Amino acid sequence: MSSLQADHLFKVFGRRPQDAVRELQQGADRDALRERGSTAAVIDASFTVEAGEIFVIMGLSGSGKSTVLRMLNGLLEPTAGRVLFDGQDLTALTSGELRGVRSHKISMVFQHFALFPHRSVLENAAYGLEVQGVRRDERLRRAAEALDLVGLKGWEKSWPDELSGGMQQRVGLARALATDAELLLMDESFSALDPLIRRDMQDQLLELQRRLHKTIVFITHDLNEAMRLGDRIAVMRDGRIVQLGSAERILVEPANDYVASFVQDVDRSRVLTAAAAMVPPSRPDAGDCGCQTVTPRTTLAELLAVSARVPHPVAVRGEGGELVGVVPRQRVLTLLGDYDGPQVPCDLSPREKEAAGA
Amino acid sequence: MPRLQLGHWADSAVAFLRDHLGWLFDLVTAVVSHMYDGVNAVLSAPEPLLLAGIFAVLALWLRGLTAGVLAFAGFALIDSVQQWDAAMQTLSLVLVATVITIVLAVPLGIWAGRSRTVSTVLRPVLDVMQTMPAFVYLIPGIFFFGLGVVPGVIATIVFAMAPGVRMTELGIRQVDGELVEAAEAFGTTARNVLLRVQLPLALPTIMAGINQVIMLALSMVVIAGMVGAGGLGASVFTAISQVNVGLGFEGGTAVVILAMYLDRMTGALGSQVSPLGRRALAKADALRGARIWSYRPNTAVAMAGIVVLALVAGGMGVFGGSGGGTQVAAGKDVGKGKTVNLGYIPWDEGIASSFLWKEVLEQRGYTVNAKTYDVGALYTGMAGGSIDFETDSWLPTTHAQYWQQYGKDLADLGSWYGPTSLEISVPGYVKDVKSLADLRGKASAFGGRIIGIEPGAGEMNLLRTKVLAAYGLDKEYQLTTGSTAGMLAQLERSYAKKEPVAVVLWSPHWAYSKYSLTKLQDPQGAFGTGDRIHTLASRKFAKNDPAVAGWLKNFHMDEKDLTGLEAAIQDAGQGNEQQGVRTWLKSHPGLVDKMAPVSGH
Repeated sequence: MSSLQADHLFKVFGRRPQDAVRELQQGADRDALRERGSTAAVIDASFTVEAGEIFVIMGLSGSGKSTVLRMLNGLLEPTAGRVLFDGQDLTALTSGELRGVRSHKISMVFQHFALFPHRSVLENAAYGLEVQGVRRDERLRRAAEALDLVGLKGWEKSWPDELSGGMQQRVGLARALATDAELLLMDESFSALDPLIRRDMQDQLLELQRRLHKTIVFITHDLNEAMRLGDRIAVMRDGRIVQLGSAERILVEPANDYVASFVQDVDRSRVLTAAAAMVPPSRPDAGDCGCQTVTPRTTLAELLAVSARVPHPVAVRGEGGELVGVVPRQRVLTLLGDYDGPQVPCDLSPREKEAAGA
Repeated sequence: MPRLQLGHWADSAVAFLRDHLGWLFDLVTAVVSHMYDGVNAVLSAPEPLLLAGIFAVLALWLRGLTAGVLAFAGFALIDSVQQWDAAMQTLSLVLVATVITIVLAVPLGIWAGRSRTVSTVLRPVLDVMQTMPAFVYLIPGIFFFGLGVVPGVIATIVFAMAPGVRMTELGIRQVDGELVEAAEAFGTTARNVLLRVQLPLALPTIMAGINQVIMLALSMVVIAGMVGAGGLGASVFTAISQVNVGLGFEGGTAVVILAMYLDRMTGALGSQVSPLGRRALAKADALRGARIWSYRPNTAVAMAGIVVLALVAGGMGVFGGSGGGTQVAAGKDVGKGKTVNLGYIPWDEGIASSFLWKEVLEQRGYTVNAKTYDVGALYTGMAGGSIDFETDSWLPTTHAQYWQQYGKDLADLGSWYGPTSLEISVPGYVKDVKSLADLRGKASAFGGRIIGIEPGAGEMNLLRTKVLAAYGLDKEYQLTTGSTAGMLAQLERSYAKKEPVAVVLWSPHWAYSKYSLTKLQDPQGAFGTGDRIHTLASRKFAKNDPAVAGWLKNFHMDEKDLTGLEAAIQDAGQGNEQQGVRTWLKSHPGLVDKMAPVSGH
């Protein structure tokens, strides 16, 4: 398994890009550069994607996320910085070597599917293998397997334009999976789909990932999608990575106001888990009762129902069944309401307050 | 504004190119003319109806039964109006020009599609090529490539290049950028991105461009015909020069049939060769179901049909195909198959004398190529040596400027007819106008116009510089410029309506036998003494072939013989000029031996 590392990546379009990078490194402002005709698309992006993880780069349009993705497989050459994959510096390769890496180790899924309209579904899925130079009968067999994997068995002889959007993107996914590449780059791959189908595709991707353990870099502008899919998330704004961490971290501890305003619409109950809510048990015998318990990965949405049923803090048990913490009801409310302060004491008893109101 | 010597620079550039790049032009000429000869040999070898059958099978394969039947009917029509050989020459010219254009245009278009700079540089060049009037580069083209098919092909290529390049560029640019990126993301090489993604997807647009190239090439055939490219262009050009509306229509119809056939076939081919098109076609077929009129044989069946017809055609070409030629009498084979290139201007006396000589020389064992040319092209070609001789130079007045320019490369073999006269004529029903002086003060009756001919004609020059002023007509009348055909058409129209009309004419001219016309007298002698009709030859020919030059020097005809010969040719009809000559010669026994005496007899 191999990891992918982006090391101080810069991408500047326009005139005299190297000079612009130097100035950016010395702290120049992005807007100042733009007045001179240089556009800094990516500024000093560094991150490491661990093997087998889904790494999401999230940002609005123009934030530089697609540019970062295209530097990872060399479709765009970084103005400065390195991309290390499998211990190999991709930026140092010749274009021929880079093509070899792209055809064997990295594949890509596109926003608008990018299926070749003059090829059948099967031939589309086999495209990467064709580039690799795999013999015809073998590549068609492997392409058919990949189509089977994404649930398109029986559609091999159809043409891309006969398929719905979701099915077309499955073909795109099959094309990427057929080459057995370790690294999958997904560029807003589900953004063009209807919400319901998008959810299906997210589920299917997670399901596939459980079986295949690819290393995936996923680009999206949809925070809910980022939180659902990403083991870790990099939030980009104006060419810079402003926060990098797990979904819960970003939700609970946004690095700045921008990220905070971004995350406020997220359905926190579906992102936050018991692991974020739990506190050390106050009593040694917590969880010894017969009451229902949860795991650290249980979402708050599920935890709510358990918490309502159980009269005391809900016990959280790890994979081995050992007690790792408890979640008091108050903690759940604190997290969902995004309120982190102490409880405010009340100066009236409820009955007196009722009387005053009447 | 200072006068920029743009024209002068162009002159110098042409001279420089001719002097220093001659080898290149010779190479191009050799390549193009060999391609044309090859294609034309294939197309003109088989029996017309068999070839029509092959064309029909192609149409059947590409478009279905209706198209096949129509194609056969169309080509049979061309054959029945006796334009088959001309049509095949035109088809050969169009095919050669199209192939060369595509070979140049598609790579250029691809290049332009991938590079903004190339696209920006190419655009004005293509504009010039497409809009510069063809004659501007056609006449210099004769300097470089000689007369005949080659300048015709070159002019066609220049004219037809633009849509080929533009549509290819458009096709490449239209391919979705994400598809190109996808191909690159999977490690495709630049070459394969082009071959496997961009070209297949651009193919429908490129085929539309090729279709346009062919259509533009066909639209150039008449202009090509004026520089000796032959084919339907020459048929139409000749017919129109003689105001033979019927024949012009037949030639024009043949052009239209060819155009429609080529258009529909390339259109259908466009959907056959591109994968997307094939799919759309299959879909449409499936929807329509099997119907007899849309029946299309599969490729194998169509190929088999074409091969069978081609074999039959080839076989007949080998075993048949003799007869109809001129018999060379024993002991009179002076030429021994030597080729003589004869040029003529499609004027009646030119046609008559040229075909008379063609027949006479063929009886003496020469192979004679007689081709029709525009006057300027004729002189240019003869000075350059690609035409050996012609019999229709009006000297010393009418063609004076040509003689001045090219005389040093030409040999005057003397006059065979004369004197001729130049004049302005009016219909006989215009009673009170008998001389040029009578025209004065009657401008309103004649609409203020004297109907002229080609602006380059010697007679027009004379009228402008001398004659009109001599009679004080230059203030009153406007001398219109146009073409001989246009002048004759106007004469026909006015004559039918009995309207007064004044036209620029000359004698001998068949118009005098068709209409009752009054030649206006020229009491001041402003037109000068009448021209005589001379035979001119290229200097090289006069030196290398003294026998023929000698015969030509002794050639004479009187008005009775000339009009008789012209009438015989008119009776035989266009395309059968030589047959008319033979008929006429039968009533003039011994004339051939008189014209071309063989020593020892």
